Amino acid sequence: METLGLALDTTFDDTSVAIIRGKRELLANVTLSQYADHAEFGGVVPERASRKHLEVINPLIAEATAKAGVKLEELDWIAVSHMPGLLGAILVGLTVAKSLAYQLGKPLIGINHIEAHPYANQLVHGELPFPLLHLVAAGGHTLLIHQTDHFEWQVVGRSVDDAAGECVDKVAKMFGHAMPGGPVVDRMAMEHSPASIRFPRPLMNDPGANFSFSGLKTAMLYYLRDNKDTLEEGPILSAFMESVVEVLAVKTLRLAKELGVAAVTLSGGLAASQRLRREFEERSKKAGIKVYVPPPGLCTDNAAMVGSLAAYRFEANRVDDLTLDGQANLLT
Amino acid sequence: MTATIEPNALAIDTSSDYLSLAVAREGITVASYYERLGKRMAGEMFGVLDGLLQQAGIGLSDIDVIVAARGPGSFTGTRLGLAMARTFAQGQSCPLVGVDTLRLLAAQAEPEPGAIIHAALNSIRDEVYHAAYRWDGEILIEQAPVSVMALEDLVTSAQGNPVVFRRFLPPKKDEPEFPPELVSATLRHPHPDGALLLREGLAMYANPGQEGLPPAEPIYLKTEAFRKWKP
Repeated sequence: METLGLALDTTFDDTSVAIIRGKRELLANVTLSQYADHAEFGGVVPERASRKHLEVINPLIAEATAKAGVKLEELDWIAVSHMPGLLGAILVGLTVAKSLAYQLGKPLIGINHIEAHPYANQLVHGELPFPLLHLVAAGGHTLLIHQTDHFEWQVVGRSVDDAAGECVDKVAKMFGHAMPGGPVVDRMAMEHSPASIRFPRPLMNDPGANFSFSGLKTAMLYYLRDNKDTLEEGPILSAFMESVVEVLAVKTLRLAKELGVAAVTLSGGLAASQRLRREFEERSKKAGIKVYVPPPGLCTDNAAMVGSLAAYRFEANRVDDLTLDGQANLLT
Repeated sequence: MTATIEPNALAIDTSSDYLSLAVAREGITVASYYERLGKRMAGEMFGVLDGLLQQAGIGLSDIDVIVAARGPGSFTGTRLGLAMARTFAQGQSCPLVGVDTLRLLAAQAEPEPGAIIHAALNSIRDEVYHAAYRWDGEILIEQAPVSVMALEDLVTSAQGNPVVFRRFLPPKKDEPEFPPELVSATLRHPHPDGALLLREGLAMYANPGQEGLPPAEPIYLKTEAFRKWKP
């Protein structure tokens, strides 16, 4: 019989609860975003995020169980993202998860939020063939992860400075767009041509697997300074986004060929970008490499991907005890 | 589970460096824990809870009422206890009583009928969290709600009435543990521990007053030092 699990994610500024049957039957996935709460500060305020998580998480659990038509007593496991992220925020979800696990006498499964992002693809596309190369562009992370089996993975490339999504949001802010500005930049990139504007492609021809985006952000600053009188937002942002997606796609697919992986996956908030998805679609066809992407709703932080990975961990009896701690950083 | 006058109850306080838990069977405290765990709190609290329930000879599902500390105190710490308490209460549909930490301090004092008792928890830069209560028999009635004030204003406000004063942060070098300008209350209970929290919570539960019980929500008060940072 297939198991029933509940997953929580409070690693950053979204509170998310999911209920999943088996490995991919999503019975509920409810997420409360805190964009509006932090908008006036221009970024996420950690203490504010933690307070909001506590305020909403129990009502969200009630909403999720009602939506799924299940009772807490029917659950077989409780999963929670315990790293990486804002520690105060993580501790809210972790404590709630531990409380549920203790109360129900069911196992607790701690999940690495970054490891969970690619599992949005397992959830939607079914069992994916290993080995895989994942591009995870999520919040403060831009990572290339080589996975040879479930639970067997390593980071093989990363941004050495700004994350790609971070860079996009910061450029959006330069044009006066409220956070998160990424979707606005993406829309501009889809609606406008870059014309004759061209931004640098940092590290694109570097044979290594790392990225760099802070120079691109600086290039935009200088462009805006030097072209004050001839600014047309659409083509500029289109050219900027073209640079970002080209670097990401070229380097990812090049590494995929070198590693001889069966497929590539995209995940994380930036994977919701239509422009990025189009770039990967075009280039992967030419390269003969299969690319999996989740629907946009499963790219941004969500508990469904946490639940998907947790279901595999439960099957493999990889569970934790109630001394599990939260961890802010990805790598110790 | 129906509420009874002498319920099985669980008290949780993580608003300071101390993990404070207590279990009551039929209204009588039968097990309690009060230790300074600091950063070990999140990792150890469930193991301690389990041991305490075993010691009390009951399970979590036997609990009729949950009492939890709301702060003021550590923001992160307060959230741990409330996250646990709220989840337990949700899971077994039982009442949750929130008790502020100043009331808990005041409850340490020997009751004096009709007298005013002040409770203060120091923060930084000579500021305190403060509230005042009046004894009505063994029940504390709030006279001044929880607020932040300078220590010197507490001296004025207390007007020689007894004060229960607790340091959230250790005293500075050469700073006395108890400010000599204040009159110390006679304590009948040495620590603001889980047993005391149980007693106060159950007293509030049995006597909710006309306005009912306060919401079991955290109290986040800012001292002047943090007021420049918007919440």
